Amino acid sequence: MPTKTPTHIRLTRRAFAAGSAAAAGLAWSPLGAQEKFPSKTIEVVTHAGVGGGTDITGRMMMVHAPEAFGTEFAIVNKVGGSGAAALAYAASRPRDGHTILLITQTHLLTVMQGKAPVKYDEIVGLARATDDPQFLMVGKSSPLKTAQEMIAAGKTKALKFGVTQLGGVDHLAVLGFAKKAGMQAPTIVPFRGGGDIVINTVSANVDVGILNYAEAESQLKAGDVRALVTLTPKRLAPLPDVPSAKDIGLDINYSTVRGFVTLKGVADDRLKALEDGLLKAMKGQMYATYIERSGQSADSVVGRGPWQAQLDGFYNEGQAALKEIGLLK
Amino acid sequence: MDAFFAGMGVLLDPYMLFLVFAGTVLGIVVGALPGISGSTTTALLLPLTIAMTPAAAIAFLGSLYCAANFGGSITAILINTPGDPSASATAFDGYPMAARGEAGKALGISAVASAIGGIFSVFVLIVAAPLLARMAYQFGPPEYFALAVFGLSMVAAIGGDSPVKNLLAAALGVLLATVGLDLTTGVERFTFGAYALSDGIEFIPVLVGLFAISELLEQAAQHGAVQSYIKLKKVELPTLADFRKCAKAISLSSVIGTFIGVLPALGATTAALICYNETRRWSKHKEEFGRGAIEGVAGPEAANNAAVGGAMVPTLALGIPGSTTSAIILAGLIIQGIRPGPHLFTEQPTLLYVVFGSMFAANLLYLVMGLGMAKLFARIALIPATYLWPAVFVLSVVGSYAPNQSMFDVWVMLAAGVVGFLFRRYGFSPAPLIMGLVLGKLVEETLKQSLLIFDRNWLMFLTRPVVVVLFAITAAGLAAPALLRLWRFWRASAA
Repeated sequence: MPTKTPTHIRLTRRAFAAGSAAAAGLAWSPLGAQEKFPSKTIEVVTHAGVGGGTDITGRMMMVHAPEAFGTEFAIVNKVGGSGAAALAYAASRPRDGHTILLITQTHLLTVMQGKAPVKYDEIVGLARATDDPQFLMVGKSSPLKTAQEMIAAGKTKALKFGVTQLGGVDHLAVLGFAKKAGMQAPTIVPFRGGGDIVINTVSANVDVGILNYAEAESQLKAGDVRALVTLTPKRLAPLPDVPSAKDIGLDINYSTVRGFVTLKGVADDRLKALEDGLLKAMKGQMYATYIERSGQSADSVVGRGPWQAQLDGFYNEGQAALKEIGLLK
Repeated sequence: MDAFFAGMGVLLDPYMLFLVFAGTVLGIVVGALPGISGSTTTALLLPLTIAMTPAAAIAFLGSLYCAANFGGSITAILINTPGDPSASATAFDGYPMAARGEAGKALGISAVASAIGGIFSVFVLIVAAPLLARMAYQFGPPEYFALAVFGLSMVAAIGGDSPVKNLLAAALGVLLATVGLDLTTGVERFTFGAYALSDGIEFIPVLVGLFAISELLEQAAQHGAVQSYIKLKKVELPTLADFRKCAKAISLSSVIGTFIGVLPALGATTAALICYNETRRWSKHKEEFGRGAIEGVAGPEAANNAAVGGAMVPTLALGIPGSTTSAIILAGLIIQGIRPGPHLFTEQPTLLYVVFGSMFAANLLYLVMGLGMAKLFARIALIPATYLWPAVFVLSVVGSYAPNQSMFDVWVMLAAGVVGFLFRRYGFSPAPLIMGLVLGKLVEETLKQSLLIFDRNWLMFLTRPVVVVLFAITAAGLAAPALLRLWRFWRASAA
């Protein structure tokens, strides 16, 4: 066994992963046949820690993955550097298709800023996993009743927006929206997570919060926050009365997306096999339920073509936006 | 009442009882093992619980969550290695007790205090959750800033005997807290280009190093000395007098711990540290702290378990997680099709009583197990140092590596071990360093957020009632010793 393992570190981690899986009582299929792909455990590398949103998405996909692929899966959590650590780890692995990454737009922003040892054209899309439209929301006590009122207010003074990370997806979405709507440059108040943004939106510490539906679902139902507009071209099914960006005449599309990619160099037939297997695993009952109940868009799961197109679009737009806020020269 | 009986009916099913039992046992084990925390385990088991009914899943995860916070104290007391970050304050006095041969007492009081804190918070959860959850909305960055300042204000008194050394150690902790990506500017500080540092210094390796490795080095330095285990003649459980001594610590910490748990941004670790402070402040035996004060074990243990019920308040009533573990439980609930929020309390009362019942049962279960097995566990202290400490070393390395699968964290752990050893040699205590590390980041971040919210106007802090009250308490706490001395001086000169 140790002869097949490149380093002792790897053995330890494997042993740990296997140990925890055994502790979890999960039934793992035995190692598949050696001759065809996949021939060993497929590693899913994520930047999220165990229990983070992206980590949970990966684990949900993995529920059905062993039957779809006929091999076992293991999540590798490489936290740090806004995705840079995960990309660096993936870059250190053989390009044989046994290492895939579950990424968000954050990884692309990191790559753009040259903070990861990977270039954008090395990233090859496999399948999108989740698509979570973003909303602009205000607290119950806010005088802003509609998106138009918010835009008008934002033209006379700089509104305070609660976001999750400077130079992150939320930040770019807010800037993009404000620019397209002709508002003044907004004041950005960064928070640690969606929960903090919800609280500070309800208590009016910020004028507007940028949130996903699921993050504020209970407050929306209780009437503590109002969603003014979704930043995507289509309205979201659970909030049929909230106008889309298109409805108010803005051509923008901001949503939190997660999807699987691998690095350039993997043979085409393996890319196809990975795409097919991932799509099959994500068509499984468990994953479908997860998508539906966590308020993600129903057409979250798409294959290589549309996913790569979305990645390219975001990359081009993100680069322009980062230049504008001075994070990129 | 119908809902209550219906909930108990669900819970009394043998399968459900088995799940609560399994969750509790598993929770104690993973809580005790450094590196595998309750949150890691709930995340790993999440896909498994989806196949269960919603009631079964939450009963299982809930009892695991309760028990893990108790489990952390076992290793903190016996081998000076907090199994869970929330047990770090427990090691301050728990390990000196064990070293004195009172491991049984420390384990016993930990079980009792944990259970009382846990059960108290579950009752608060039942009675006042929707009401209390609204309180979370009153806590924005300015309020957290005031609370963190309050927590830090006592740092000179915590740990060693020298206030100057305590302040120095705390300053080092605050400095370490600045490492990583700064939230409000997006600038990476002191990372030297290392990815592993971009999210700041990991807390677990620092803890394990400061406590376990420094103790290992200390033991190694006493080569040829008489082994300390001879002191352990027989394993004693806490006596009635011990409980009476700890009553104040337990009740105070249960209340404060629940309150801090309710606040979404603060968790069991902060609750335990602040309650360690408060326990000491209100104790009649301040001089015992840091040398094996039984109250110093009872306070933080009651607090970190009270924080569990507290953390479930915003999780269930607002859908906003109160801690890492409850964030994962929340994800599990949502996938199960349960939508947390105020309406949950009116629409699904039966399910809620299952949650409360299982958490209550888990607290009772680990109390029984903890007391029953305290004598057995205490015998770990009898293992000769030549076998025990190498095993602790292995556990420390694995425990630091596991959470992020990072060798860097192992180096951090070893470096923290050397720092901890030097601390001991020169009379510093790790306690203020940990306070600085935990609260330093909070102070800085919330101050900067507050100033953004206030358009950089400092005076706006005084427009927030909660902030004013917290500032006043802090000022009173800081001024009290000076005023007391002044008063004594005045009385002495008047006489």
